[in-house]
Amino acid sequence: MLVNILSFHNFLLKLRDSYHSFNQIIIPYRARSDDKNSFYFNEIKNEDHFRLNYYRTVDPVKILFYLFREKVYPTKNNHAKRIIIGVKACDLKALLLLDKALLQSGFIDPAYKYWRDNTLLISSDCDYLHETCSCNLLNGHPYAENGFDLNLSVIEDNYLIQLGSERSQEFIELMKKEINVAESTASDLEIVNANRKKVFNQLIEKNSDLKHHENFSAFRKVDHKIWEEVSKECVGCGACTNICPTCYCLILNDESKGNEFIKVRSYDSCQWNGYARVAGGGTPRPKMTERFRNRYLCKFDYMQKNFGEFGCTGCGRCTEACTAKIDFRKVVKTVSLMAQEVN
Amino acid sequence: MQNPYEVIPAEIYEIIQESPLIRTLKFKPKKPIPFKTGQFIEVGIPGIGEGPFTPSSSHYIVDDMDVTIMKTGFLTEHIHKLQVGDLICIRGPFGSNYPLEKFKGKDVLILGGGCGLAPLRSLFLTMLHDHKDYNSITFLAGAKTPKDCIYKDEVTEWRKYDNVRFIRAVDEVPYGEHWEEDVCLVTKLLQKIDMKPDGNPAIVCGPPVMMKFGTYDLLNYGFKEENLYLSMEKKMYCGFGQCRHCVIGGYYACKDGPVFTYSMIKNEEAIWD
Repeated sequence: MLVNILSFHNFLLKLRDSYHSFNQIIIPYRARSDDKNSFYFNEIKNEDHFRLNYYRTVDPVKILFYLFREKVYPTKNNHAKRIIIGVKACDLKALLLLDKALLQSGFIDPAYKYWRDNTLLISSDCDYLHETCSCNLLNGHPYAENGFDLNLSVIEDNYLIQLGSERSQEFIELMKKEINVAESTASDLEIVNANRKKVFNQLIEKNSDLKHHENFSAFRKVDHKIWEEVSKECVGCGACTNICPTCYCLILNDESKGNEFIKVRSYDSCQWNGYARVAGGGTPRPKMTERFRNRYLCKFDYMQKNFGEFGCTGCGRCTEACTAKIDFRKVVKTVSLMAQEVN
Repeated sequence: MQNPYEVIPAEIYEIIQESPLIRTLKFKPKKPIPFKTGQFIEVGIPGIGEGPFTPSSSHYIVDDMDVTIMKTGFLTEHIHKLQVGDLICIRGPFGSNYPLEKFKGKDVLILGGGCGLAPLRSLFLTMLHDHKDYNSITFLAGAKTPKDCIYKDEVTEWRKYDNVRFIRAVDEVPYGEHWEEDVCLVTKLLQKIDMKPDGNPAIVCGPPVMMKFGTYDLLNYGFKEENLYLSMEKKMYCGFGQCRHCVIGGYYACKDGPVFTYSMIKNEEAIWD
C-alpha cells in the first residue's frame, strides 16, 4: 500500500479528533527547536513537528509498556486503545524480549499485558543514523522485520505500508475511508529495499572499528583486572539500565492504605549497591566493578540462557546516557578480545 | 488470568519467641495457600514491605501456616513488633520444592543451622507425616548457644520415632547456661553418626558459611553432587523470576530454586555470599 505522507499525517490528526476506538496516538517529536537530533514520544499535537523516519527516540518504547512507576495490584480495568507510531526495529526487538520475560515465562505481568494488548504498533525504517546506533553489531537491521502491526517506509512523498498482523485491519479500514490509498508495485518495494541497504551499509561502515567477537559465553572467564580497567570511570548511577529497552528489573513497593492492599512496581538497577543486598547486609556484588560486569553478563550470557536471545539490541542508548562517557560498544569489543584469548 | 502480585491477607493467631532473635508466627490465610515443602512465600506488612520466607510448617496443613523469622533487618524488625490479631499479607507459593519422591526408601540426612532450620522443619514435619516411607531420617541441627536453639518444645515429640534421629549441637555453652547435648560445630556431628552416603540424599540449609563448609564436608564423605540439596536464599523480591535480583548465573533463586542440587549451581559465582 502506498499513501501520501502529508495526507497520512493529516489523517493521524483527524483520527485524534474524531470519535474512534483509538483514544491516544503517540508519536516521536523533536524535543526542542534548537535540538534537531533528539526525539521523544509524545501525544500527537496540532503542529506537525513529528518525525516518523530518522532514528530511535531518546527514551525506549519500553517506558510506554513497562512504566517507571505502575500499580500492579489491584489492576485497573479499562480498555483504552492507543497507537504508537514511529517505533524502530531495535525497540521492537526489545519488546519481543520483554514479551518472553513478562508474558511467556510461566506468569503474566498484568500491567504490561494490558498495555501490550491495547496498543497498535506502527514502526518505521531508520533513514538517518545516531552516532551510537549499532544494531548491525548484534544481528539487527535499521528496519523492522517482525513485531510490528504496520510498518512505514519512505518513498519520496509517500509511505509504503507493510502489514505485520491481523490487528492492523481496523486501522487500515479507517484510513481507507479518509485518504487515498494506492497499490504498491514491485518497483516500490525495490526502492525500499535499496534505501534500506544503503542505510545498513552506512551503519556497517560507521561501526567498522567496533566489531566484537561472538564469544559471549566466555565473558565470565575474562580476568577481573580487565573489568576493573573498563569500568574505572563508572560512577554507578544506573542511567544505562533505566534507559535500556530490555532492562526490566523492578522493585515492588507496598503502598497499602487502611484496608486496601496496593502494590506498586518501579525500576531498579543492578548497578546500585543495594540491588541484591539481603537482610543482614550480605551482597554478592559489593564492588562497582562486579556490578558493572554483571550488566554485561546479564545481557550476553544470562538472558541468552533464559530467553535464547541477547539482551542488547544495539540501540546505543546506554552509551548516549552514560555520564562517564563509557562506550558500551567499546567495552564489548575489549572484553570479547580478551575472551578470545582466554578461550 | 492469575495476578502474581495478588495479596492474600492472613491473621496472626499465635507468636512463639523461639530465641532472643527468632520468632515463629502462626497465622491463618483468608484463603488456603497450598504449597509443597521447600517452596517459599512472600510475607509482608501492609505499608511497610515484604520479604521471602519459607513456611516452617508441614505442607499437609494448608489452612494454617507457620513462618520462623530472625530479626536481622528493616522488615524483620517490623515483623518482630507484630502482635496476635495483626494482619499480614502473603503472596505465593513460589519456587521449587524438595523432591520427596526421590527421598522415599532412602536414608535421608538433614543438616541445618540457626534460622536455616525453618525450611527444614517444614521438610521434617512433612516427612514425619509419612515417616514409614523413608528408611531413616537423621536431622542434625546446630545453634550458637543453648538459648539460640529453636523449636525447643518440639524436640521430645520428634525423638519418639524409631527410624528418626534428631541430634543437636551448640557451638559453645556460655557460663551459666545448661546443656547436655553435643558442643561442636554442627558439621562435626557428621563424624559422630554412621554415614551411608551411597545414593542417599542430604539437605542443607543454614547461614552461608555453614552451608559452604557443610557442603564441602558432605562431598568429602562421599555424598554425590546431584544428591546434595541446598536451599539458596537470595534476595527473592518478586517471587516468580521477573525482578532478577536473585539471579545466580543464569538461574533464578526464586523460580529454578530455592531448592537447588549442588551439581546445578556449583560453577556459578558468589553462591555462598
